[in-house]
Amino acid sequence: MATVREKGYSHWDGKLLERRFRWWPITRTGIQLAFKKKAFRFFFAMAFLPPFIALAGLYISERLEDFKALVRSNKALLSIDPNYFKGFLTNGSTLFSLILVLVFAAAGLIADDLRHNSLQLYFARPLGKTDYLAGKMAIVAFFVLILTALPYLVLVLFKLIFAGNLKFIAQYPWLPLSILGWSAVLTVFLAFYFMLLSATSRSTRYVSIIIFTTYIFSAALAGILKEIFKTPYMGLFSIPADLEQVGAFLFGSKLPMTVPAVWSFAVLAGICLLSVVVLNRKIRGVEVIK
Amino acid sequence: MSIEVKDLHFRYGKIVALDGVTVTLGEGAVGLLGPNGAGKSTLLRVLLGFLVPERGEGKVLDYDIRRDQAMIRRAVGYMPESDCFVSGMDAVTFTSYFGELSGMPRQEAMKRAHEVLFYVGLGESRYRLLDTYSAGMKQRLKLAQALVHDPKILFLDEPTSNLDPTGRTEVLELIRDISTHKSIQVLLSSHILDDIESLCETVVILKQGKIAAEGRMDDLRAIHYSLYELRIKGDGAALRRDLESGGSRVDEMEDGLYKVYMPEAGDRMDIFRAADRAGVQVRSFVKSQTSLEDLFAGVVGVD
Repeated sequence: MATVREKGYSHWDGKLLERRFRWWPITRTGIQLAFKKKAFRFFFAMAFLPPFIALAGLYISERLEDFKALVRSNKALLSIDPNYFKGFLTNGSTLFSLILVLVFAAAGLIADDLRHNSLQLYFARPLGKTDYLAGKMAIVAFFVLILTALPYLVLVLFKLIFAGNLKFIAQYPWLPLSILGWSAVLTVFLAFYFMLLSATSRSTRYVSIIIFTTYIFSAALAGILKEIFKTPYMGLFSIPADLEQVGAFLFGSKLPMTVPAVWSFAVLAGICLLSVVVLNRKIRGVEVIK
Repeated sequence: MSIEVKDLHFRYGKIVALDGVTVTLGEGAVGLLGPNGAGKSTLLRVLLGFLVPERGEGKVLDYDIRRDQAMIRRAVGYMPESDCFVSGMDAVTFTSYFGELSGMPRQEAMKRAHEVLFYVGLGESRYRLLDTYSAGMKQRLKLAQALVHDPKILFLDEPTSNLDPTGRTEVLELIRDISTHKSIQVLLSSHILDDIESLCETVVILKQGKIAAEGRMDDLRAIHYSLYELRIKGDGAALRRDLESGGSRVDEMEDGLYKVYMPEAGDRMDIFRAADRAGVQVRSFVKSQTSLEDLFAGVVGVD
């Protein structure tokens, strides 16, 4: 080991800042740490595949003459309307790829801090519990928004560029709001969902398994319950189904479940509420000084 | 005065953790001693503003412990006892990260992180992943993160645990340097009495949530005991019984040395009178300094 005091101690003559967003260093560092993981980089890149396919679809829809042979039997697929965007944004595979990305970026956000006792270091700083959680949740928000709102708003722009006029936006002026609304709902839900599960264990691996299990098996459970009780309300137990229901509502499309969308909103809000309660207990439970 | 608390009371449910603690601490290194459950950690928590006391008041650097918690945490550097780090980071990122969270500008925090890592002896390994650090290196890292924002007070919780003898000596030397030459006050909580004895001029001993003893080490030694070391020929047990009946404590060492802890009101001639009564010949008699261990045992009531 190196000798102690290779250099002498000197006082720092700067002034500590009173930051408006004290959580920002947590968010920035969390994002940087995520990009250090190879697996994350791979799945993050793969998550941009649907927007690229959507972009290709937009291009083809404006150049139908050039792609006659290709779209002869699939013309309906290339009718560009809010459903086209909803199809890409809310389908199961898009949501699953999002979950996959977030597992690598966010499963350990609290679990790692619990495992390595670093909460006490955070709270020995002028940070509150809200700052800490806001910093961690903003990491999830960053990745969700960059994979949903950003590319699909850009796609709307591309649609206008390819069309060479503003007819599309004049026809569906609320579409950007739907995209933003859906992205916001997804961001808030996934942020609370990941924080909730990340705070349940000190092992990132275990948290990752729990995330997948609850996400996938909630759908399986809903299927079983639907068969037993013969009521569509049992579908509310499925997290992916609730998300798709909310997505369809926000895009003004036909609802996939024959229950009012408000119930799906309520289920998602309930999970967020549960997260608040658990986080409040877990983060308070870990004392700053042992 | 940098730390001042008055009549502090705190309880965890029914368990009384602090019971009317009143203490004033000045400059330099202060040792916080006490057996498990004495209230040391609770006192630190209250000082850092994490726990709100039931009763009483306190100030750290003139910041109120109830109202100015954020200001206290800016001014205090805290080195926890347990291993703690952020997985996936190197030492420079880690140290500058916590500097930034303390309120340092990003670039300043990075520059400062390099400086303190060199200071604690991690200069060469500052770009290594923390997950690969040894226990001793993690201990130094904790000190670095506590120092990065140049605090006015350092709270050190068992700073030499997990260290080999060489590492322990080096870290103690660092703490001594910080407290004596760098105008940073150090509040050191440790079970290793030697550490406290070698670093601190002032000591606070807690027992069951109350201050059992407090003051300058020299004064405490003088107040509580007079220690005499003697070698004898004859029936040591009889001498021992006689002295203990007079209120002294007698320890017999392995090499035959007798340590007599005499109450401050006692007269050393009583030892010779007791020896006379026991028919014991005193062959060597030295007035000695009490160690902190002796003081701790006497005040807290454990050997």
